[in-house]
Formats: sequence, C-alpha cells, structure tokens
Amino acid sequence: MSLVIDRISKRFAEVAALDQVSFSVEPGRIFGLLGANGAGKTTCMRIVLDILRADRGEVTWRGTRNVALPRRTWGYLPEERGLYARMRVGDQLRYFASLYGVSSATAAAEIDEWLERFRIPDYRDRRVEELSKGNQQKIQFIAAIIHDPEVLIMDEPFSGLDPVNVRLLKEAFLEMATRGKTLIFSTHQMEMVEELCEAIAIIDRGRVVVSGPVREVKRAMNRRTVRLATEGGDGIRWLDQLPGVKVTRRGEDYVEMEVSGEREPDTILQAAIGRGERVTRFEIADPSLEEIFIEHVGRRATEESESHLATLDR
Amino acid sequence: MSGLFPNAWHVARREYRQRVRGRTFIVTTALLAVVALVYVLLPVILRTTGIDRPAQVAVLVTAPDLSADPVATLDGLLSGGSAGAAGAPPKIEVTRVTDAADARQRVRDGRLNGLLTMSRGSGGDLAFDYLTNGEANDEASVFVRQGASALAIADRLGRAGLTPEDRSSIFAPPDLTTSAASAAAGRREDRDFGASFLLGYILVVLTFMAILTYGNWVAQSVAEEKSSRVMELLITAASPRQLLTGKVMGAGAAGLTQFAVVIVAALVGLQAGPALERLLGGAPVGGGQLPALTVGLGLAFGVFFMGGFLLYSILYAAVGSMVSRQEDVQAAASPLMIVAMAGYFVSFSALNGIDQGWVGILSLIPFFSPYLMPARILLGDPSPWEIALSIGLLAAALVGALWVAARIYSAGVLLYGQRPNIREVWRATRVSR
Repeated sequence: MSLVIDRISKRFAEVAALDQVSFSVEPGRIFGLLGANGAGKTTCMRIVLDILRADRGEVTWRGTRNVALPRRTWGYLPEERGLYARMRVGDQLRYFASLYGVSSATAAAEIDEWLERFRIPDYRDRRVEELSKGNQQKIQFIAAIIHDPEVLIMDEPFSGLDPVNVRLLKEAFLEMATRGKTLIFSTHQMEMVEELCEAIAIIDRGRVVVSGPVREVKRAMNRRTVRLATEGGDGIRWLDQLPGVKVTRRGEDYVEMEVSGEREPDTILQAAIGRGERVTRFEIADPSLEEIFIEHVGRRATEESESHLATLDR
Repeated sequence: MSGLFPNAWHVARREYRQRVRGRTFIVTTALLAVVALVYVLLPVILRTTGIDRPAQVAVLVTAPDLSADPVATLDGLLSGGSAGAAGAPPKIEVTRVTDAADARQRVRDGRLNGLLTMSRGSGGDLAFDYLTNGEANDEASVFVRQGASALAIADRLGRAGLTPEDRSSIFAPPDLTTSAASAAAGRREDRDFGASFLLGYILVVLTFMAILTYGNWVAQSVAEEKSSRVMELLITAASPRQLLTGKVMGAGAAGLTQFAVVIVAALVGLQAGPALERLLGGAPVGGGQLPALTVGLGLAFGVFFMGGFLLYSILYAAVGSMVSRQEDVQAAASPLMIVAMAGYFVSFSALNGIDQGWVGILSLIPFFSPYLMPARILLGDPSPWEIALSIGLLAAALVGALWVAARIYSAGVLLYGQRPNIREVWRATRVSR
C-alpha cells in the first residue's frame, strides 16, 4: 500500500538519466532522496508526478499506477521556484487550488490558516514581487499543499532558506506528517535528513545505491563509530593493536575509531579498563549519513558530480 | 486523459483578467482607440479647419458678347463631368470677378488659386489667360484647361448659329447600357465594387493584425510562464491541452476586447462625423459608404476570422513553449510569421483578380482561407460547397494543431536550453505524456 517506484529507466538522447531505479515509500512517512546535483533526483520526481514518462518501469501509489491517478494526489515544490510575480498572494493560491478542483471558499480558509502558521497573515493581498525571497518560498510551499495532496514531493525545499525559515518549514513538514501525508524530499544537506527522515534512498548517476529505513541502512554498514578518551591517555596507542578497530581521528579531546561488525564495541571499554586506564569518555554511535553517502558514492553530496544532465535535471 | 474543462476555463479567466487589468493593456487600448477615432474623423477635421478647403478659381470676362454664362458652364463641368464624382465634396469653387487688378493681387497673395481671363482674340475665337501660383498640372489647372476648351467650343457653336437648346442636346450623354456576360457577373454587377473592395481590404488587414499581434501575446505569455518557472507548477496541476486551450482562449479574448474597443471607436467616429461637422459650422458631405453587412456575410467573416485567429494562436502557444526566454520568442516564431505574411500579401493579388484559379485553391487551405475565403465571398462568387469545405478543413486543422501543439507544449515546457531546437523538441514529444 505504499508508493512503489519499480525499475524505472529514462534516457535523454544518449544519456541514461535513470537506470532501473527502484525504491518504496511507506505512507505517512518522511522520505529523503539523497544525491549530488545531476544524480537524477529531479527526473525521478517528475516521473513520479507524471510530468515526464519513463522509458521503462512503473510507479504505483496504493496499488494504482500514477498515470491513472488524479493530479490532486500530488503536491509538488519544484527546485526552481516560480510564481506569478505580479499576482496577489491570495489570488494566486486560489488559482492553483482551482486547477485542482478546490473551491475558492475552501482554498481561502486554508490560505489564511497557512499564512498564520508562517507568521505572515497580512500578506494575502500583497503582490508576490513585493515579498522577500524567504516569504516567496513560504507561498511556494502553500501552493504545493493548498489542494490537500496525499503525497508531497519537494525538490531541495531547504535550499536558500535562512535558519528561521528552515525551522518554520521543518514545523510545516511535521504538521503535514501528523495529518497523515506522505512526504518525499530531495536534498544534499545530510543533517536535515538525519533530523527528519525515517527512510532514504541514495541516488548516484541514475542508480539507487542504497535505500530503506535509516536505521537499517546504518546497520547494513556493519560498523560503528566509537569515541574514547582516557586520563593522560595521550593518543591511546594500544588501540592500533586491537583487531577490528581502525582509528580514524586522534584529537586532543578524544580518539575516534571505526569498529567492524564482528567486534562488540563494549570490548574496547573492557580492554581499556583491563589496562588500568581511567576512562573519561566512551561513546558508541552509528555511522552518520554523511559517512554512508561517502562510502557509497565516493564523495560528498555537496560536490558536483560530472553530470551531463545539468540543463535537464535542475 | 482528463477533460478540457473546467481547467481550461480557469486558465483562460486568469489570463484574461491579468492582461486586461494590466497598465500596458489599458494604455495601448486607449491609444489605439484615439488613433482610430482621429483617423476616421480626419476628413471632417481637415474640412472644418480649412486645411482641406476647395481651390478658388476666379473668372474675369472682357469679351462682351458671350452667349452663355462661363461660371455656370464651369460649375456644370464640375458637378457632371470628370472633375468630381457625384456627392463628393467640390474640390474647386468658381467665382466671377470684375476687378482685374484686385484679382491679380489676390492670386499673388495666395487667396485665389488662379485667375482665368477670357477675351475675344483677333481671329474671333476666345482667348484665355490663366494666372496661377500652382503647378501647371495641379487639379485646378487641369480643370481650367478642360473648362477653357468647353467654353471655346460652346462659343464657336453659338457663333455658328446653334441655339443653347441645340448645344445641350449635342453635349447630352449617349445612351450606353452594359450587360452581364454570365449570371455570376450579373450578381456581382449589383454590388458596389469599390466599396466591396475596400471592405475586403479592411478585413484582410484586420485578420492579419489580429493574428500577428495577439498570436504574439499568446507566445509571450507562455514563454513568460516558462522563464519564471511557474510552468512547473502548472504542468503538475493541469494537462498541456488544458493549459494550451485556456491560454489561447484567455489571451485571445483579451485581444478581441482590444479589437472591439478600437472598432467601436471607429464606428462611433463614422456616426458622429456629420454631427460634428455641423457643430463646427461645416456642411457634412456623403463619403464612400461600406456595403451593408448582411447577417450571412457577418457570420462567414466571424467564422473565418475566429478560425484563423485560433489556428495561428494555438501554434504560437507551441512556439512559446519551446523557448527558454521571452527574448527568443520573436526568432522562434518567424516561420509562423512568414506563413501569416504570405497569406496577407497573397490576398492583395487575390483582391485584384478574385476569379483566378489559384485563389480558389488557396481559399480552401486552412492557413490561407481565413484571408481569402471572406474576400471571395465579398468580391467573387464561391459556391456553397466550397465555403463549407473551407470551413471543414479549417476546423480539422484546428483539431490537428491542438494535438500537435499540446505534444510540443508538454515536451517543450520542461526543456531549458540555450536555443530552441525543433529536432530536440520533436524527439522529446515522443517520450512525453
């Protein structure tokens, strides 16, 4: 009963934009689509929205193919923001609502509620061009959800927002989630994903390299990070002799190491105590999404990939 | 596939409102209405302000034995002869003077266009002297030359002993009748050819202007939505066919609104002209009248005008969807403009020879029929099946254009690049929804 993307492929001329992309999103969850610029995130979203057609593969939502679903199923926040600059906020939002078959009165109530939530209640009669960029993005978000869609698809929703507006948008996400909506958003900001997403897919050069619930993705890495500090321990050299332990950072404050799945992290603490060390810090952590991304893709998400899709997938 | 309405209607309504409320629209519409009004009232204004007053010719007679009044003869020539059509305002006024010195001074001052002096020459014939500041071939001089020869002949006939009655019977127009060679020509004979030609000319110009101006509006408007990226929201909410149809309807309705305002201004000017002239102290004169528009004719014009207008506008919308920036619209639309202009220029040849075979063929072809079929209905004699076929083909072309344009549109709106490339767009149409 979820959103299933089943082996979709898409070529633009000679370039494979998507190659056998599959993943699924559980209803009512917040899902992160991770990838560098040009990895194929936007193409993937457009195919789900049925504004592009895949060459092969299909998309289903609650068992129905996306091509047969009404358009109001989806809400879309494109990466390139666009509104009618000279239209008033209220007129504009009511217009988009009307295209989805929402009555003017219903839309008006919804608009007032969201403007209130975004702390801009008296902007309804302003022209969009008079608004700051951050406030325009709020209007753009309202335009995406004004028709109460079941699935909300957002392309880089946080890019270009200041911290205050990032917080407001995060609150809006959680509000939509509590209303039972399914949210999918793409980003290359890993901290947002850590904070919000229950499941992810990482796309690299048109292929899904890993997908699933965040917890499972992390467990599948089959290693954990341990941070250890001892009194007067000066680098804790003996760690290098422990099998299954790889020191990744020796700082003034603590030593960080990767521990393979075969070794229980507790054994490191036991070893330290056994050597008579006075432990001042012991910390076990899952690998961060940043690390997972680098492990799978080979570089950071914020670095440009050598993409040929720059003009199409943007 | 979703239905066309109500979304096309929502799109059209937004487009119409935004455009009609815009300052550019209001200013240009008002300006065009004023231009139309002034243009229509121009003859009245020229006449009443004296810029267009008739030429003044004075006649000075020194021959005492003239049998006829030369001023009456010249006036008769003006009203009945080649110098002026019946009902048209007199271009020349003739007066008789007796003071030669004063008249010469008035010619030099420019208050008189010319002074015609008639005297008895040594051989007994009348001798004429024409004093003027004008050119030798201006209207008054040509008229004076004709008048002089008529006066000389009348004088010779009088001296030969003919009475005034004899003379008028000699100069009476001959009994000439014209008969039609065919039934069609006979029907055409009843129509005022000059007025029909004028109306045909006006219709062709109006159709062309509407296609070019308002088609361009549609293309610009689509390109604006694309360059401002609002298109991505629209295409998620509505189908390309809905967006395209609504856009053409909305921009088209705004264009027709402007058109209607300008035409109404011109008609008001035509109606108010005589009253205005009386108000300003002039005497209104009848001008060339347009032939009466029958309901059938009006309906035919409406169908062809709207059909042509929509056909071109739909394709202009497709053009707008292919470009990334508004500045590129003109270049991308040039092939379409060439077709529209070809139809326009071809129509002028057609107006001058409406029965030529190629006119008949082109008047059936959708891109040209909006110009040529109304002209044929007006000036030629198309059979009903030709008119029906032409309308049918135009309707089929509209459906086809909508289909093609919707495909180009759905592919084009997501293509962003430096230049519009028809091959790229065409390839994209095959994979879009």
